[in-house]
Amino acid sequence: MTLKYLIQKEFLQIRRNAFLPRLIVIFPIIVMCVMPWVVNMEVKNIVVEVVDNDRSTLSRQLVHSIEASNYFIFNGLQPTYQAALKEIETSKTDMVLVIPQNYTRDLTNGAQPQVLIAANAVNGTKGAMGNAYLSQIVTATVNPDIAALQSRVSTLFLYNKHLNYKVFMIPALLAMVMMLMCGFLPTLNIVGEKEAGTIEQINVTPVPKWAFILAKLIPYWLIALFVIVVCLILSWLIYGITSQGPLWLVFLLAMPLALFWSSFGLIISNYSDTMQQAIFVMWFFVVMMLLLSGLFTPTRSMPDWAYATTYVNPMHYFVDGIRTVFIRGGGLQAIAHQVLALLGISSVMACWAILSYKKNS
Amino acid sequence: MKQFISFIIKEARHIVRDKRTMLILFGMPIVLMLIFGFAITTDVRNVRTIVVTSSLDHLTHQAVDRLAASEYFTITATAPTPQDAERLIRSQKADQAIVFSPDFASRRGGIQFIVDGADPNMAQQWTNYATAIISGSDASPVNSKMLYNPQMKSAYNFVPAIMGMLLMLVCAMMTSISIVREKEKGTMEVLLVSPVKPLMIIIAKAVPYLVLAFVILTTILLMGRYVLDVPLQGSIVWIYLVSTIYIVLALSLGLLISNIATSQLMALLMSAMVLLVPIVMLSGMLFPVESMPRVLQWISAIVPPRYYIEAMRKLMIMGVGIGEVLREVAILTAMTVALLAVSLLKFKTRLE
Amino acid sequence: MNAIEVHHVSKSYGAVTALDDVSFTVGKGEVFGLIGPDGAGKTTMYRILCTLLKPGQGKATVDGFDTVSQMADIRRRVGYMPGKFSLYQDLTVQENLEFFATLFGTTVEQGYDSIRAIYNQIERFRDRKAGALSGGMKQKLALCCALVHQPSVLFLDEPTTGVDPVSRKEFWDMLQTLKKRDITIMASTPYLDEVRRCERVAFLDQGKIRGIGTADEILTRFADIFNPPGIKHAQSGEVTDENVIEVEHLVKAFGSFHAVDDISFSVKRGEIFGFLGANGAGKTTAMHMLTGLNQPTSGTGHVAGYDIRTEHEQIKKHIGYMSQRFSLYEDLTVQENIRLFGGIYGMSDADIASKTDEMLERLQFAEHRHDLVGSLPLGWKQKLAFSVAIFHEPSIVFLDEPTGGVDPATRRQFWELIYDAAARGITVFVTTHYMDEAEYCDRISIMVDGKISAIGTPAELKERFHQPDMDHVFTHLARQATRSSD
Repeated sequence: MTLKYLIQKEFLQIRRNAFLPRLIVIFPIIVMCVMPWVVNMEVKNIVVEVVDNDRSTLSRQLVHSIEASNYFIFNGLQPTYQAALKEIETSKTDMVLVIPQNYTRDLTNGAQPQVLIAANAVNGTKGAMGNAYLSQIVTATVNPDIAALQSRVSTLFLYNKHLNYKVFMIPALLAMVMMLMCGFLPTLNIVGEKEAGTIEQINVTPVPKWAFILAKLIPYWLIALFVIVVCLILSWLIYGITSQGPLWLVFLLAMPLALFWSSFGLIISNYSDTMQQAIFVMWFFVVMMLLLSGLFTPTRSMPDWAYATTYVNPMHYFVDGIRTVFIRGGGLQAIAHQVLALLGISSVMACWAILSYKKNS
Repeated sequence: MKQFISFIIKEARHIVRDKRTMLILFGMPIVLMLIFGFAITTDVRNVRTIVVTSSLDHLTHQAVDRLAASEYFTITATAPTPQDAERLIRSQKADQAIVFSPDFASRRGGIQFIVDGADPNMAQQWTNYATAIISGSDASPVNSKMLYNPQMKSAYNFVPAIMGMLLMLVCAMMTSISIVREKEKGTMEVLLVSPVKPLMIIIAKAVPYLVLAFVILTTILLMGRYVLDVPLQGSIVWIYLVSTIYIVLALSLGLLISNIATSQLMALLMSAMVLLVPIVMLSGMLFPVESMPRVLQWISAIVPPRYYIEAMRKLMIMGVGIGEVLREVAILTAMTVALLAVSLLKFKTRLE
Repeated sequence: MNAIEVHHVSKSYGAVTALDDVSFTVGKGEVFGLIGPDGAGKTTMYRILCTLLKPGQGKATVDGFDTVSQMADIRRRVGYMPGKFSLYQDLTVQENLEFFATLFGTTVEQGYDSIRAIYNQIERFRDRKAGALSGGMKQKLALCCALVHQPSVLFLDEPTTGVDPVSRKEFWDMLQTLKKRDITIMASTPYLDEVRRCERVAFLDQGKIRGIGTADEILTRFADIFNPPGIKHAQSGEVTDENVIEVEHLVKAFGSFHAVDDISFSVKRGEIFGFLGANGAGKTTAMHMLTGLNQPTSGTGHVAGYDIRTEHEQIKKHIGYMSQRFSLYEDLTVQENIRLFGGIYGMSDADIASKTDEMLERLQFAEHRHDLVGSLPLGWKQKLAFSVAIFHEPSIVFLDEPTGGVDPATRRQFWELIYDAAARGITVFVTTHYMDEAEYCDRISIMVDGKISAIGTPAELKERFHQPDMDHVFTHLARQATRSSD
């Protein structure tokens, strides 16, 4: 029953801390109110300028259809290609469309005119997306065959009909919550006790290892769960976005991830001497796991060696699973293998954490 | 002068002796560069596609063959009905389905894409690519030219961003922690009471991190150039000069934090909360500033790395002259001067 | 011209008054003692004189320069060793010393003469990192760093806390040689023998100067505080023949360095056992092995009937431990700390509640039960830490320098608590650097360089080595060992 006293102690310390209670309140608000707007890879507001060397009715038609597209911001005409390139160089525009001199003649003759698109591709995604859209508009105007085909194509976007980026990101943000609440906070706490010397006092008491560790983890799990609940409520209130699948599955995925992060934090704090070290090492792994988890970019586009790392990356399983539940409304069966993988990885880490904590060296 | 040098040597020893932190400091840029350079892409690749068709006429066949042949799509299955396809997508066995109507060949019937729309960006790109492939006109009327980054590598975009983040981290976070550590351990009192001028203490603290920052900067540039094939279009001199301004800015931020923070933990949390989070979120490093709501754009206007990253993208990747980044450099310089002045004025030569 | 002049200086932090209308002068070349209990305002005084703090009211000059307006002049000519001075842990001994020498515009060679006596003892560790030294060794290195330059005024804030008696004597001998060079020294100390070596002493209490005079004058005038009547060495509890600690050929090696080198001894139930030794002799390491924090390299040991190698978790149930560093949770209240440690040892809520009341009553602490431990004065913290260590009625309690840096009156109260515990049958295993405390023990051992060089009752040891008191016995043994290790 020593566990009870230890957990009580942790809660008292958290409450007395000048910083933690505020963090627990402010964090979900920031995550839900600011992050969805920021974590947005949507490509919007691409600025386009046109060099019209033909100056005919048909070419003006093309310009109009660009102007009409709400995807682009039309920034006017440029006299020459050189002038337009200069505009790209000074970042006044992102893309330039050059309509050739014989545009109308070629079109009426049945020949295909060659339209040039020059895009600033420093940001590869932006360049590619802009190019694809602009090409589509041009092709549809220039090539009646393709225009015909395009009119026959219909697209049904499942799960996220309005292609709302926030729907895609909000569930994944829960992964960040777990990471901070269950990974960083217990690590700082334990290294702090090491530096203060109180851990030595605990080590000469008969407290079993697992009790000490559990007492460190349980408060943060509870806090993390609380924060997740607040986040879910906020997401419903602010964006009207709610889970499509059953809510208990969200928690089923969150629990093993919490166990993973806290064990991981413990392992690092067991091997670190100072807070700076612990934070730096933690941060290193966090950044790697986050980037390779598919949270921001599709894992399937990765080269094979990078894709292979996702098999041991618990963040990948969580992000995958939570999106299936939250967005696609998947059931237990759909995420069974993610849950199992998470459980497997986190129990290995938990064992390592308990073994690496030495009461007697 | 002798005091100054021995001070710097002492500071350098602190850095070099902490092997794990050193490992992270140099491991971080290398790993980040590799991840951004090779692992992370938003390219359309290996999209698991289901073909739904009832009649395998010639035209449909041709379209499917073209899809299968492309590197973008992998045909994983054929399903008899759209419902079956949808079920496969829901259970995460496929990403999209292409439904050919039975009379597709007769040019009257159409095509329907059923796409997993969870990731809006990718979903749209998949349909674009698929449409282009199915329409199959080799002679595209469009001649595209991807300026500065013909292969559209994400590394081009991220190398300047990594520089912005790591330089800030090394300079601001490490400097503030190292100053606060001396405060916490009581050695700062001795340093202050010693004949060494307070300004010397600060400079001596900053110099090793300045050097470290340049080493990291050079590592990133070399890796970018020779491992990731990111060309260095602009003038190296200007790249280093602008970086120097930025590094000084980061150092003064670190100094400012060390004035406020009373413990190492506080310095750590402040650098993480006040520096790292806004940098990653609002500097345009990962997420484009122009897609954010107005309010956040305003906030991002006071995040220094935003200007540095922008300036570096222009100088390094686009290879424009210094004239084109004057605005960014001017803002950075103004910020540096202001921060440096504030942090030097606020530096306490006494304990209160 | 006086080296230090303080006129009506007051200083307060918010509502707390640290210094209240303090005035005194220190003549050039004088050795001046500033003494007083923990929290009296000594550190604030040092900081004001070193220009680290501005006085709230009043004026102070050092070497004729004003502490507020002529900061740079003062900083050029004073030396200061703060109380919690802790060196650079990741630099080696040599590097630390060189850095501080250069910082003060001198070199180790130039200052070598003035630090030789102490530096000799740590010179063999010159390539070891300061962080790997034992507590007392660090303090010695800090002394060297403070003395390597020769300022005109030297401020030393409790420089010898945790340093063994022999080194303390050597340190004060060194201060005497500095005096010959006309260096003014202002120092504070909790040790009475050190107070006696000051020419004049100011007694500071609760921010006020209570008296200034020669050491003897002050010590007699405030005898109830500095020289409380010694505690009667009551024959504590019943010492039985049963051994609760038995150690044979215990060795702990870190690489080739034998911190504890083949020690054997036993402690009987109910005894107060003093475990003495010079800094770095291996006391703390030995204690860590007995309390199950460390595994011995070789040898055997039993504590409370359990093997220290295999049954360390059993041992932990039957012992109490108070470490060198204060180790209660500072952000918990008195009552919460007691409850936590009571709970850890498996006591029931009702038991904890009734025993807490009883204990706080006995300590006259009842009104502070809801105070944060961090806000208590050092002496109280240590009494509390001891009471918590024996709260679960362990059969043995281990105390690692429990009274470091505490004034004599508080130390006396602390020993009353120890006798109290012993009377209840708790075996007490204690390390200390106060030789008057050594006399309070039933039996003592003296460790030198990892080995036990003498063991017996204080009376026996005095007789065996023909010395008048424990202080001399210790000096005799420790000096011998230093010679042999050179």
